[in-house]
Amino acid sequence: MPGGTTPPTPPIVLEAIGKRYETTSGAVQAVDSVSLTVRAEEFVTLLGPSGCGKSTVLGMIAGLVRPDAGRVLVDGTPCDGPNPDKVALVFQDGGLFPWRTALDNVTFGLELRGVPAAKRREIARGLLEPMGLRGFEKKYPRELSGGMRQRVAIARALALDTPILLMDEPFGALDEQTRLLMGEWLVGIRRRARKAVVFVTHSLHEAIALSDRIVVMTARPGRIKDVIDVTLPFPRDLNAPEVTDLRAKLWEQVREESLKAMGNPP
Amino acid sequence: MTVLAWRLGILVAILAVWEVAVRPLNPIFYVPPSALPGALVRMWRVPELPALGEHVWLTFTEIAGAYALAVAAGLWLGFLLGLRRTVGRIYEPLLAALYAVPSVIWYPSLMLFFGLGPASKIAFGVLLGFFPIVLSVLAGIRQVPATLVTVARSMGARPWTVFRKVMLPAMASTMVGGLRAGLALSVVGVLVGEILGSRAGVGYVINYAYGLMMTREYAVLALIAAAAILAVDTVGALVEARVKRWAG
Amino acid sequence: MGRLINPEGGSRPPSGPPPEDKVAPAKPALEAASPSRYGRFFDSRVGVLGAQAASIAAVVVAWHVAVRTGVADPLFVPAPGAVAGALGTTASEALPRLGDTLAKAFLGYALAVSLGVAGGLLIGSRRLVHAVAMPYVVAAYGVPKILVLPWIALIFGLGTGTAVITATLFAVFPILLMVAAGTRDVDPTLITAAVSMGATRGQVSRKVLLPAVLPSVLAGMRIGVVFAMLGVLLAEMFAGTRGMGFLMQRMAMAFKASELFAATAVVSILSIVVVLSLEHLNQRLSRWR
Repeated sequence: MPGGTTPPTPPIVLEAIGKRYETTSGAVQAVDSVSLTVRAEEFVTLLGPSGCGKSTVLGMIAGLVRPDAGRVLVDGTPCDGPNPDKVALVFQDGGLFPWRTALDNVTFGLELRGVPAAKRREIARGLLEPMGLRGFEKKYPRELSGGMRQRVAIARALALDTPILLMDEPFGALDEQTRLLMGEWLVGIRRRARKAVVFVTHSLHEAIALSDRIVVMTARPGRIKDVIDVTLPFPRDLNAPEVTDLRAKLWEQVREESLKAMGNPP
Repeated sequence: MTVLAWRLGILVAILAVWEVAVRPLNPIFYVPPSALPGALVRMWRVPELPALGEHVWLTFTEIAGAYALAVAAGLWLGFLLGLRRTVGRIYEPLLAALYAVPSVIWYPSLMLFFGLGPASKIAFGVLLGFFPIVLSVLAGIRQVPATLVTVARSMGARPWTVFRKVMLPAMASTMVGGLRAGLALSVVGVLVGEILGSRAGVGYVINYAYGLMMTREYAVLALIAAAAILAVDTVGALVEARVKRWAG
Repeated sequence: MGRLINPEGGSRPPSGPPPEDKVAPAKPALEAASPSRYGRFFDSRVGVLGAQAASIAAVVVAWHVAVRTGVADPLFVPAPGAVAGALGTTASEALPRLGDTLAKAFLGYALAVSLGVAGGLLIGSRRLVHAVAMPYVVAAYGVPKILVLPWIALIFGLGTGTAVITATLFAVFPILLMVAAGTRDVDPTLITAAVSMGATRGQVSRKVLLPAVLPSVLAGMRIGVVFAMLGVLLAEMFAGTRGMGFLMQRMAMAFKASELFAATAVVSILSIVVVLSLEHLNQRLSRWR
């Protein structure tokens, strides 16, 4: 460490956070005692079976869900609500406003901030163009394919230029081929984006292709089962032996939890 | 507080406010709920009012006749427009245009043509009631999944069999909704017809009481008619739910 | 072998798609193929419009013939020519009355839209209000409002007040129900997305709820127009001295068949035009759907 400088505050610190929900059939512990630190410009994936609480963890980082236990620190300060200057989200089904064009969707956050119209549009176009959406700015979500919609959703999140980006299974609703292509594309822009990213998925493939670190979560109640560092250079060849080894190791862990989630423990 | 408690609470509150607010007001215009049971009893005996039983029976037969015809006409027209593509394309827009017209303007013409007797009420009831039925048949046909028909045909089923065993059950949920709405509208048609111009029937008695400013009697009659109609519609809703459960 | 390639046989050049009933239908439309070989003509808009016009013309001709030959009694069924003539003679009396009716309908409609949209938004957005109030709303909607009309007439008399109130009463329920349903159906992800980007309560209402609910509001408003007219006409027929409804009742009682038919036709066409315009407006505003 260079002499004299203090270590930078990590953008995200989770201190033993937990969440329980009251349902008609009793209390459910969705997340239990999850602790994690995400460093600046790091790409962390939360990997686990459905229902393991990964989306809940994301919701707590975003300030949309209040933890029952522990606390969430964003840039060093405890989080107690949505933090649009620091955190941007991408949802599984896009969450695009159907009555707004692609361009107007991207400018939504900027509108809320009071950025003047011309500047907003300039920023939005600047984001949509490298995504291959030039010429589609005036289209409505209904007129776009699933892959295009997700790109618009990501552009919308990037427009706020936050240091943290949270993505909740953003490619989950897409077909296989589109998913693979979107994964490749995301690898392409991730380094340019220079953000701390927390990415939720249940796809091993995506986790390995994109992450610096993979956090494997258990079935409900969601706890951290394992944290695996992935130091392979980008772009990653998914047929390389290190990758196949990693995938086998991951699958072993995830399989166990998936079976538990489905109701038959191994 | 549970939802049920809230609902009951509101009902009680409405009755209480009604009672208290209306007591001091002019009894010709405002009837407190407490006066209603007495009025009901009086109605059966008061000489100014015609014999209630006959009128109720007449209205009931008018409704039955109107609904029967509405169902027949509605189903026939619905299947004609829905199954014969060309016919449907030509005439369905005309039907839709008719839907944009406030139905009550047909009534004076019906009165002129059929007179003041039950015929005009039945005709109006048919006119109102057959619409939702036709629309539900058309909608029902359209939402039958084509794959089901293909499956049946590929197993060698002939058109009539396909219709009976595949299309009808697939349409059942949608159609029963239309049949239920058709009943409600046939009832409205008959009632409106009676109130606007007739010599007999529940509507006539209501009009009569209104004319003589016998507000209490009118109120009781209106409330009972409303309750009866709601009861019938509730039964209709139960039937609809049952059919929907069976048909999927 | 030729049959398989050209199922319709050699009498027509094999152009266009094969008849529907020879190929498994892939579209949701299930109607049996039109057996006529002219069926394809009606696939075009012109064909359909032509057939509609022709049908209407045929009805008018048959009607005319029926009256001429005495099959239909001219006392009850006026000849088309007589109806057309009556349009002219009654115009001076009917038009102001029509204007009166429309004015009242518009007033009632405006009231109904305000109440219906506000009420619908309230009921649709709050769970408790929805659960508590809905049974009452549905019950009120299910009761024929004609039953209340005499009471309204008792209190408000034979004039404009009764008509406007009746119009409001008739129109408010469908609007309220549609808006409530539309509000409930707003995708919660949209609201979450807006909140996560820092939208305040007011911004969420204005920028997310309102545009999301607009289609339902418009749909309710379209339906409300017909109901408002219905309410006014009904009130005028029951307890009115002015307005179109009263005029038509009077014509019926006086057996003025031609005039009545003419009046009915005018009001019908007017309604159709109004509703079609609203439809068109709705199409324009809903390009994103």
